[in-house]
Amino acid sequence: MLTYTIRRLIQAIPIMLGISLLIFMIVQLAPGDPVDRFRTPQVRPAQLEALMRLYGLDRPIWEQYFKWLIAFFQFPFNEAAWGYSFNTNQPVRDMIFDRIPATVTLMGVALIVTIVVSLPIGIIAAVKQYSLADKIISGFATIGYALPSFLIGIYVLMFGGVWLAQLTGGAISFPLFGKQSLGKEGDVLDMAWHLVLPVTALAIQSIAGFSRYLRASMLDVLRQDYVRTAKAKGLSGRKVIAKHALRNALIPFITLIGLSLPALVAGAVITEAIFSYPGLGSLTINAIGANDFPVVYATGMLTGFFVILGNLFADILYGVVDPRIKY
Amino acid sequence: MQSADVRTGTLVGPSEQEIDEVDLVPVRTYWQLVRKRFLRHRLAVMALVVLTVMIIVSTIVPLATGDAYKRSSIPLINDGPSLQAPPGYNQIGQNQFVRLMRASQTTLVIGFAAVFLIGIIGTVVGAIAGYFGGWIDNALMRFVDVILSLPFLFLILIIVSLFGFRDVRVVILAIGIVGWTTAARLVRAEFLAIRETDYASAAKALGVNHQRLIIRHLLPGAMAPLVVALALGVADAVITESALSVLGFGIAPPEVSLGQMLNDFRENFFAHPERIWYPGIALVIIVLCASFLGDGLRDALDPRQKADG
Repeated sequence: MLTYTIRRLIQAIPIMLGISLLIFMIVQLAPGDPVDRFRTPQVRPAQLEALMRLYGLDRPIWEQYFKWLIAFFQFPFNEAAWGYSFNTNQPVRDMIFDRIPATVTLMGVALIVTIVVSLPIGIIAAVKQYSLADKIISGFATIGYALPSFLIGIYVLMFGGVWLAQLTGGAISFPLFGKQSLGKEGDVLDMAWHLVLPVTALAIQSIAGFSRYLRASMLDVLRQDYVRTAKAKGLSGRKVIAKHALRNALIPFITLIGLSLPALVAGAVITEAIFSYPGLGSLTINAIGANDFPVVYATGMLTGFFVILGNLFADILYGVVDPRIKY
Repeated sequence: MQSADVRTGTLVGPSEQEIDEVDLVPVRTYWQLVRKRFLRHRLAVMALVVLTVMIIVSTIVPLATGDAYKRSSIPLINDGPSLQAPPGYNQIGQNQFVRLMRASQTTLVIGFAAVFLIGIIGTVVGAIAGYFGGWIDNALMRFVDVILSLPFLFLILIIVSLFGFRDVRVVILAIGIVGWTTAARLVRAEFLAIRETDYASAAKALGVNHQRLIIRHLLPGAMAPLVVALALGVADAVITESALSVLGFGIAPPEVSLGQMLNDFRENFFAHPERIWYPGIALVIIVLCASFLGDGLRDALDPRQKADG
């Protein structure tokens, strides 16, 4: 297991380098150069050249790339490791670390809600296959899976933020644009109040995917011989499902959870944008829209890093829960 | 089955009424089987009909009305439903019916064109990787890994923002440039399998060159799963285009797409919630039809593959 983990980590290095190169190249393709925003009639060309020299932009591309790459990994010690935002002049490192708690909270709560809800409904749909309950659950799952996340987000916002308030005469209302607050800002209660709608929107879609997946793997397991044996020797239905079938059906489900871990940090760009949620996703969107390259570099590297780590984690977890898998 | 006529010494070809000797089922060609399997999939047939109607209507209406979708008139601002505009007029006095039709057209064009581009790039890369193997395959597939390690939308947003302007071509190009990876993996996997078959070896032994071997002998075998994946990809491309518009990175006004009509949601929440509904419903119909069509095509073209759930 340890050698496998180390081997996978070593294999991840070229992919990481590839990601850094890809992001660096794409941004290099952008028209103009970074000092363009200082190019006004009042600024002399000599001053611009001095700026280019100051930032090292007169050096060859490959030298810029390696300097950037080496500096990137010094972030624990160096405030300027990820550069300064073109727009706010803040260190990018601090901008990103400021946003991470909000995103991890949102995605973490959504993941927990998803697991808690999709476990029972996935099991019910499989055990009572073709029943009314199964048809309702499967129908919901098919539609929820096919609907785009921004549609779910917009409609959840409309129901929760507008209609609910109109129906209850303002007794129950959820924040529409993220500006309102309940009680003191930063309270647990205030945070929970802001989380309800985006978590609902995120959960609807992932519950659809997770429960569909669990239903399929549960159906697969229920057809196995050892389940029939367990039934034949007189075990109660509940025991067969909980002890014999579910444990094996959970193996692919756990992998699915492992694969959704990178999103904990990367965030949900669309949902965050619709609900004006101050997470990493909306930071990324704003940075791309404003050509704030240092922020784009950093969020891209971070996301790629966590995707690779998440895949590795899912593979290792798979070996832990399924002893038949040997590395 | 062909059988030799002993007396005349000629081959008797299969006649229309001929019965297969082994399982006593009338002989059918590949395409007859495909059509039969597709027609059995009711949902897919319905989706095909709905999608065809949508394509026809959303082509005819914009053709007939010209640039009416961008004309705005001040007296008609927020005008209610009328015969000219069943959904009424929007906050800058544009005919919402004409806009909806033009938006559906744009969204469908982007969906199909992006998938076409994905098909071409994916097939070329996948065929080269799967056919030549070795370091070429390795390099291309690691490149695919790198692209897949970054979120799809993140890359598309960066590419769209690089162009500096936003029109239909930019959106199609961005989705195509980022989206080809899955198609390439699929074609590569098929090629690896087909490369080892007897008919491929036979063609190679006859001295067929690389280009002909790839195009005439290997590619047709890899087509079925690719077509299925691409049909399902139309839904993804349509969703991506709308997501771009909702995030403010889609095509620029006065051009209009379904995502862009949805993007007015913040202004319309209170006074005109219906304006969020109809572009949303049109979008859902397109997405659902495209995925049902993909499911039907999978059952028809590639019966070995089974849908899950």
